[in-house]
Amino acid sequence: MTVKVEVGAGGVPHNKVMIYGLVGSFIFLYLTYLNTYLQAPYLAFFGGLAAVAALVWGADTIKHLCSYGLGTGVPSAGMIALGSGVLAALFGATTGVLTPIVTIILAAIIGAITGLLANHVVRMDIPAMVSSLTELAIVGAITVLGLATMACGTFEFLGMITGTFTFLGFTVQTYGMSVIGGGVIAVIFMLGAIAIQHAFNACLGPGEKQDRTLMLAAECGFLSMITVAIISFAFIETYAALLAFLVSVIGWIYTYKRYIDLSKRDAYAWLDAKPIIEPKGGA
Amino acid sequence: MEEIIFGIGITALAGALAAVAGAAEDTESDIGSQGDPNSQVQLAPQMGYVHRIFNKAIAGEPPAYGLWVALGAGLAWAFMAMQINPILAIVLGSALAVFVQGVYATTAYLGRTASLSKFEQPVYIDILKSMTTVTMAHAFVAIFATVTVCHLMNGALGHPFPLPLLGLVWGIALGAAGSATGNPFYGKERQYQNQAFGAGVPIAASGNIVRYAEAGQRNSIDNGFFSAKLGGPASGICFGLIVFFELWRTVVFEPVAAGWGAIIVGVVVILIFAIIDRYIEVWARKTFGPYTTPEEASS
Repeated sequence: MTVKVEVGAGGVPHNKVMIYGLVGSFIFLYLTYLNTYLQAPYLAFFGGLAAVAALVWGADTIKHLCSYGLGTGVPSAGMIALGSGVLAALFGATTGVLTPIVTIILAAIIGAITGLLANHVVRMDIPAMVSSLTELAIVGAITVLGLATMACGTFEFLGMITGTFTFLGFTVQTYGMSVIGGGVIAVIFMLGAIAIQHAFNACLGPGEKQDRTLMLAAECGFLSMITVAIISFAFIETYAALLAFLVSVIGWIYTYKRYIDLSKRDAYAWLDAKPIIEPKGGA
Repeated sequence: MEEIIFGIGITALAGALAAVAGAAEDTESDIGSQGDPNSQVQLAPQMGYVHRIFNKAIAGEPPAYGLWVALGAGLAWAFMAMQINPILAIVLGSALAVFVQGVYATTAYLGRTASLSKFEQPVYIDILKSMTTVTMAHAFVAIFATVTVCHLMNGALGHPFPLPLLGLVWGIALGAAGSATGNPFYGKERQYQNQAFGAGVPIAASGNIVRYAEAGQRNSIDNGFFSAKLGGPASGICFGLIVFFELWRTVVFEPVAAGWGAIIVGVVVILIFAIIDRYIEVWARKTFGPYTTPEEASS
């Protein structure tokens, strides 16, 4: 039993959202690089903001892809995005200062191959498939890279596989206590995969409005940032993590309130403890 | 020998915790009409059946629980890395994961319902207030029990995976167990009590779910009572058995033939269960018979 997926028309054109998302997240990722010039990774939260910008773009892409009637395919779109993205992000992270550029190019290649396979081998024949999966892979890669950067303060691979723990007063470097070695990357993967698909999955229907869907995408991004900020207390200096936590909480409260206001605007009625009102046409 | 007895004890404890987790998970997802029952709850207003049932669609259950449990485990791991006592760390991690679950539930209900404005389905915020908290409570039990199972595997049985990765794997398994075992009780029967038993869901009845209760109008707390009685325990047995057999075969047969013993026993367990399932299915078909015509269905 599939539910017909309908999307609202109008709003900001998709290409505009894409350019804002791509350029914004790219700049935010490079801002985290300034951490190397600071005493502590105070700018780590920009990684999270890069993820938020990418998620807003990704939600709009999923809306375009899924308007071809992929009802139950909405969550799978999120999974394939992050699945292709995590590969690109981890490989890209090994290239030092070039990380964001290499990650984006590699993700585009992986996404295009996935799209071509889906259209020509699996024969799904959806016109927007190749371009959408390319975009989604880039979004997934930026999300993983951004949130991982937020957790450990750097987008370089060495920082992601080196953690420290204190044993008998000595600080020892280990792989086991790092973002990748500790498995935190798995948490980041799931946070991104659910956040990217939730906005459209939650708002689909004939009354879908772009501003409400994208606001929800930003809300999901900030919510993911809150949890990553809490995890980052295990990796980076307390004040840097605290700053990241405050930025995430403020962003989340703002977007959540805005989302509730937009839902109130779009809802048929906003009732508290009232019975069912049968529609005028009758059931 | 002592090691094996210790391992069996941990296995039994993990299986019991998993049974609790499975029961709580299915009750939680049914109160939110997540997974299989969701399509009809979503469809009902489009067919003119405005309802007061909670509709929180956050992906399918397996990915959603993959996130909640991985997040609970990841946060617990981070707290343990900050030298916090494991029990406190697991409680705090699960509580924060439940906060995320609750926020996702509210945004899902508001989004879905606001997008159905064309069909005159209002947003009932009393539903949001009373039912989100109930799902959060059940989700906490499910997440806490599963993260504890993962911690037992990692800490007591020496599983090589880090805690968050185990959380991801077992969270997906938990969601899949609840989705496959418990949901049909609600999605196929409870929603369609107004149809002849065993009739399936004819196209004409699509969206015509039961909207009125014994007294007043049915909401998802009523479905929670129902799920806690049937679907929840079934899911609990399912997930408990999965965790128990998985650990049992590893603990007991790992030393046999350099690890191959555990793999062979795993295959044998799957075959035994496949035979049992087939037997039950054939027995049920013979005993209750296929649905043919309404006259014969009365027996």
